[in-house]
Amino acid sequence: MIEIFDGAMGTMLQAGGLQAGACPELMNVEAPEVVKKIHRAYIEAGATIIETNTFGASSLKLSHYGLENRVRELNFAAVKIAKDAANFQAKVAGSMGPTGKFISPLGDLEFDDAYKIFREQAEALSEAGADFLIIETCIDIQEMRAALLAAKDACNLPIICQLSYSEDGRTVTGTDPRSAAVILSAMGAAIIGVNCSLGPEQLVPVVKILAENCRVPVSVQPNAGMPYLENGATKFPMDAKTFGSWGAKLVEAGATYLGGCCGTTPDHIRELADVVKNLSPAPRRFNRPLMLASRSKAVVIDKNLPTVLIGERINPTGRKKLAAEIREGSLLGVKKDALNQVKAGAKVLDVNMGVGGIDQKKMMAQAVREIARITDAPLAIDTGDAAALEAGLKNFPGRALINSVSFEPDRIKKFLPLAKRYGAAILILPLTENGVPKTAAERVDVAKKIIDAAKVHGLDDGDFLLDALVMTISADKDACLEVLQTLKFYRELNLPTTMGLSNISFGLPNRPLINSTFFAMCLAAGLDAPIMNPYDESMQNALKAAAALLGKDPNGLNFSKISVTTATNKTQEKILLDTLSAIKSAIREGDKDEMPALIKKAVDENFSADEITERALTAAMNELGEDFGSGKIFLPQVLLSAETMRLAFDELKKILPAQKTSTRGTFVIATVKGDVHDLGKNIVGALISNSGFKLIDLGKDVDSEKIVRAALEHDADIVGLCALMTTTMIQIDKVIADLHAAGSAAKVMVGGAALTQEYADAAGADAYAKDGVEAVRLAKNLLKN
Amino acid sequence: MPIYNAQILKIDASETRRYAGLRNAKNFGEKNILEACEEALLFLEVRGVWNIFDYKNHTVGSEPPFTIAGNSIIKHLDGCEKVICMAVTVGAAIEQEINKKFERGEYLASVLLDAAATSAVEQAADLMEKNFAAKFSKEGYKMRWRFSPGYGDWNLTAQEKLFKISGAEQIGIKLSSAMMLEPRKSVTAIIGLEKFSAQNNFSYKKNCATCNKLDCQLRK
Repeated sequence: MIEIFDGAMGTMLQAGGLQAGACPELMNVEAPEVVKKIHRAYIEAGATIIETNTFGASSLKLSHYGLENRVRELNFAAVKIAKDAANFQAKVAGSMGPTGKFISPLGDLEFDDAYKIFREQAEALSEAGADFLIIETCIDIQEMRAALLAAKDACNLPIICQLSYSEDGRTVTGTDPRSAAVILSAMGAAIIGVNCSLGPEQLVPVVKILAENCRVPVSVQPNAGMPYLENGATKFPMDAKTFGSWGAKLVEAGATYLGGCCGTTPDHIRELADVVKNLSPAPRRFNRPLMLASRSKAVVIDKNLPTVLIGERINPTGRKKLAAEIREGSLLGVKKDALNQVKAGAKVLDVNMGVGGIDQKKMMAQAVREIARITDAPLAIDTGDAAALEAGLKNFPGRALINSVSFEPDRIKKFLPLAKRYGAAILILPLTENGVPKTAAERVDVAKKIIDAAKVHGLDDGDFLLDALVMTISADKDACLEVLQTLKFYRELNLPTTMGLSNISFGLPNRPLINSTFFAMCLAAGLDAPIMNPYDESMQNALKAAAALLGKDPNGLNFSKISVTTATNKTQEKILLDTLSAIKSAIREGDKDEMPALIKKAVDENFSADEITERALTAAMNELGEDFGSGKIFLPQVLLSAETMRLAFDELKKILPAQKTSTRGTFVIATVKGDVHDLGKNIVGALISNSGFKLIDLGKDVDSEKIVRAALEHDADIVGLCALMTTTMIQIDKVIADLHAAGSAAKVMVGGAALTQEYADAAGADAYAKDGVEAVRLAKNLLKN
Repeated sequence: MPIYNAQILKIDASETRRYAGLRNAKNFGEKNILEACEEALLFLEVRGVWNIFDYKNHTVGSEPPFTIAGNSIIKHLDGCEKVICMAVTVGAAIEQEINKKFERGEYLASVLLDAAATSAVEQAADLMEKNFAAKFSKEGYKMRWRFSPGYGDWNLTAQEKLFKISGAEQIGIKLSSAMMLEPRKSVTAIIGLEKFSAQNNFSYKKNCATCNKLDCQLRK
């Protein structure tokens, strides 16, 4: 059955007398007849569901008009008008629009505050008698989650969730339709859809993706194209007939609830209704696999798809440094592990904050927020603490996995309702109060009991991931065999499987060999999503080989690609060079690994520090300078060489501490007062000091007096001044004047983004360097004279 | 004032390459650049704020009003009815890391991290624009590209007023007496909104053509 929504409300209200800048929802009490007339027009055009005039009737939106205390009144009035207008000919959907703020950490509205705002409105709409609640035009999945949660808590009505997508196919905060379908259907949305922002043509693919990734009906309410200005009036380009004609495509893509948004009128709805009313809904095929999602990416765990690696490293157990960091409230190590594991191939990240003596709830919330900001991997919330679990689930803007639910009464009682509430999947651990069942048959039995309990709480297939429970073979010779048998039983249930692998080899030598062999066996027996250390090379190799063997990597194509190593003859070339040339070449290439050995070799060959410096290091820098000047290489390349050179100097000092290398002169450098840009000056300093000058770096934002004092004190040969902005370069004039007044004989070199040769000349500088390499060349020249 | 701290999942490596001055050194440093882009994610503290005002007679209808001076910016906002004033930063933590790296002698990594931070703040600003586009396009507005004090002949001293009305202070940015933003990786900008008409042929793509710094190594 196809249902038809109404079209735009705002423009119709304006036509009915709403003044610019006035509150549209106030019309519900001040001009109810106007609102009713609009509803009637849409019903007569064929709408079977009309939306209340309450899009902005939340306390936060109403507060812009000073009406925040009238939420209940305005929502009640709106439902009454709509019901009167519908007169049982149409259903009434209570409309809830976004707050206009982003949820923390993307904005300054806390999730719980958003929840309260939506809850208040949802209660009013449902108590007044709406048939549905529709949360629409949201551009952020986290706000949608807060609203959906609030709506579910407020009433038992079916809830329609519609996000708005931009031209790139994602919402403003990055959610794609597939992730939205996964997240919202798991949380209990009755209908999932899209409205506003784009015209019907662009929404066809969005509808299609939604329909392919959930089982609930899909709704769509496009704009009548993108608006433009004509003769001073805002117009929408799509006429009613064209708009209506897109209805067929949208139904074919999977939509069964269709209507209009901005720019649509009763005419548009009439045309749409005419086109779609006799169409049959498109057949839907969705077998409900286990899907997890972050804000912007969905991951499917299924026996016919590639193995999904769950990264286990964000866990302080047995990791003293990480535990200490977490205890101090730092999440830097956690974030590093998040990024690195994803890079190593993890598709889901397990997050465990089990450190003694901390507020686990707070830390879990914080860790989930921080990780979700920098990666798009869905998370597994790994905790035994119900409060920490809820904090993790609430703060994760996606569909998480709960690690784990065992058949212990506390877990069943507390974790299952949280899974349902936040739309999380559960990892089922077949443990009971009495411990680990020994045989596969017993484990499957316990797993089934947990599934039954979960189903009582409203969970279903697609929500379960079964753990085969790995024990150690050094304690039980059959541990591996039982796991393999358990996996086979799980396959018969047609549910996806997981396990933590490394426990198998506890207490044995050469654990990597046992682990990877075990891993390969399990993959063959039906393991879908191992929880493991993604950095472990032997495990990664086993995974790749197993994928080829088990037909998940056709013809071993992927395996072949990664196994080919490209040999270079770079090393061979180097052997032919004499030592000083080799040093020079290593500096030019920025090859730091080779440097210590090369310096040692040169010293062993009886070259003096000065010889090495002059004939290898300085010579290399000179060549680099020339290449830079002619545009063959660029500054970062010179810097890498300078870095390598610094290493060479350090190495020389280490081996020949007594031999001093001569200096070219003293160079005092500073960024002038008022200027906080450091990096440009640092680059010049690094190149200067690596070119045989003694460098005195005074830092940034340095006043004239300090520069003059340093120049005199160190008997500077050159003073280098850096200024980045037009507002700070005037300081250069002052420093030069002060230097002269104090009788300093130092030459002055200036540079920085805003400076020019003309400015330098006018200020009386001795040289203007446009970059660090030029500065070195000029510095040498200045001291020649 | 509305806050939007955009999420950055990946820093644009080719922009980072450009900001590092390596646009013409295609065979150098790809791995280092990717590492810098990834490492930068650990230190980003993205914060953004914005405000919308009427715009008439070269004057932003803020309180107090802000009259725009400078040919390039006046031309750029010509025909706009409203302007968005925005500020965005990626925070101070990344700057500390850039400095730390340089002090440790990791010059290249430091410079590349600095370039990645620049890419990041521009990306954060782009993401804010995506939000504005979603918000204002259905009202029939089209956005001109963002313009900052110091571009073209718009004097840097305009920073003072723009800083105030954009709400930059609210997200922890400070303005020095030399009109510099701190943290350094911060941007303030103005975006013109005009009613979109089918005949309009204004260039909405950001370009370097209006800038008079012809020798800029970042010039596209």
